[in-house]
Amino acid sequence: MADTPLFPVTVVGSWPRPPELIQALRRRQADEISEDEFNSVADQAVLESLKYQDEAGTDIISDGEQRRDNFYSYVVGKIAGMQLMKVSELLDYARDRARLEEQLRALDVPAFAIKSPIVIDKISSREGLSLDELAFLRQNTDKPIKIPIPGPYMLTRSSWFEGLSDKIYPTPEDLARDVVEILREETVKLRDLGADFIQYDEPILTQVVLGEESSETFMCASLPQRRDPTTELEFALRLMNEVAEGIEGIKLGVHVCRGNWSRKEEVLLTGNYGPLLPYLVQMNIDQLVLECATPRAGEMEVFKEYANEKEIGLGVVNPRIDELETPAQIVERVDEMLQYFDPDKIYLNPDCGFGTFAERNINTSEGAFHKMRVIAEAAQELRKRYD
Amino acid sequence: MAEEERDLNGLPREKLTQVLDSFKDPDVFNAVTGPWKSRIAWQGGMRARAYMRNHQVDMDEPGDLTATDVAASAHEQLLSAIGSCMTVGFVVNATKQGVRIHDLEVAVEGYFDNIRKWAGVEDEGNPGYGRISAKCFVRADADEATLREIWRLAVEGSPVTQSVANPTSVETDFEMVG
Repeated sequence: MADTPLFPVTVVGSWPRPPELIQALRRRQADEISEDEFNSVADQAVLESLKYQDEAGTDIISDGEQRRDNFYSYVVGKIAGMQLMKVSELLDYARDRARLEEQLRALDVPAFAIKSPIVIDKISSREGLSLDELAFLRQNTDKPIKIPIPGPYMLTRSSWFEGLSDKIYPTPEDLARDVVEILREETVKLRDLGADFIQYDEPILTQVVLGEESSETFMCASLPQRRDPTTELEFALRLMNEVAEGIEGIKLGVHVCRGNWSRKEEVLLTGNYGPLLPYLVQMNIDQLVLECATPRAGEMEVFKEYANEKEIGLGVVNPRIDELETPAQIVERVDEMLQYFDPDKIYLNPDCGFGTFAERNINTSEGAFHKMRVIAEAAQELRKRYD
Repeated sequence: MAEEERDLNGLPREKLTQVLDSFKDPDVFNAVTGPWKSRIAWQGGMRARAYMRNHQVDMDEPGDLTATDVAASAHEQLLSAIGSCMTVGFVVNATKQGVRIHDLEVAVEGYFDNIRKWAGVEDEGNPGYGRISAKCFVRADADEATLREIWRLAVEGSPVTQSVANPTSVETDFEMVG
């Protein structure tokens, strides 16, 4: 990766989408406008998000996921064999509808609002998942680029649905083989085309270890058949390592959080990283991009046992609240983590994106800008001490 | 009816408006006022089958009540009837106003006052729902104020909802056969 200062400031991925982009996305999904027409609106939104990130002092930028419906469902247009389905459509196929209903109640959302890419045929990459996003970014910035893409575990578990996917792939493990191949190919291509940092999003790992069945749920993706956490975590570890095996010359990270669909903290998951860390540190990646800014992330002491084993992309602001954190608060959080990580292993980022789901911006562009700017101010303070 | 005539929300807007206006006619009013009928035949265990015009709906009870749980229970179907009636009302009012609906869901839930009376372990209280709530989720081509007004009309005009919300006399009779 191109040179970055100590405590590089970066985003997790998404930036709030402007209303005209959301409208264009809806019209594109309804086939009322062409891909080119949609992209002309999205290009402007990406440029706007770049401007905000740049002016806030972000060192490693993303395209704000402006072209995506959400952080993982966008793959439907990129991978043949998948179809975007609403949970309301999946209810007809769900074996345990009562559980799905409980999840919807807990989240207070309608079934039509949650969409998942569901495998309905043999999958294959069309023209890459994010190669177009990267190409546009490379034309418009000299800064290091982060590309977030769905992690292999989430993509497999959220898109395999019994009754729809099993005709082609009898088990999730069968599907995972093709998912791994697609993500490996994507990683290599993104590296060769000039991406600096690939972040695999695996937020549902927290649901695996923290989610209580039928009470607290994450629901960024449906988990129709959850198995015991150890089996799931071993599965996730194996898939990540199969994707990353032997790939060098690009920074690889995994992002984990506890939900980012709502501003109601009480509906998001709670618990420390203790149960996840034994698996996360075995992943052949460089960085763990973790939500750490809210009390829900639990005690940071759990990192003591794994000090310096990975870089940490430290979540230092809560993207879901208007209240602005201060640089001093962020420096204090970093100081705490410096007990476990050397200065050159700490990156600074928000806990999650600012608009994980296109129609659920959880902050405004101005709000996101101010959050990024306080992170950059904190980074300046820290650099004075450690440069 | 030809598909092309169903021009809004899957309904023929113009025809629908005419039909609804015809309720002003006393003969039409009398015809749609009732009686509405259902005949329920016991199917063994806690299972029952309701016959309505040329339709039928099965009902059962959950397995933990020793039943076979092959269908939703009658009281769950009451909640569904309330939500379905609100849904129909919403679609009818939206269509009348020319509002296109993309997605519509109603989530209904209820709590019994004293279900022990049903179980026969207490003799006092109301075994029925004491509290029922319904939440509408809609994505449609109209502003929020318009949609809230359509929801109000749907709730206040819902025959099923208002049957539950207002005192409705239920006259019962009994006959031993054979």
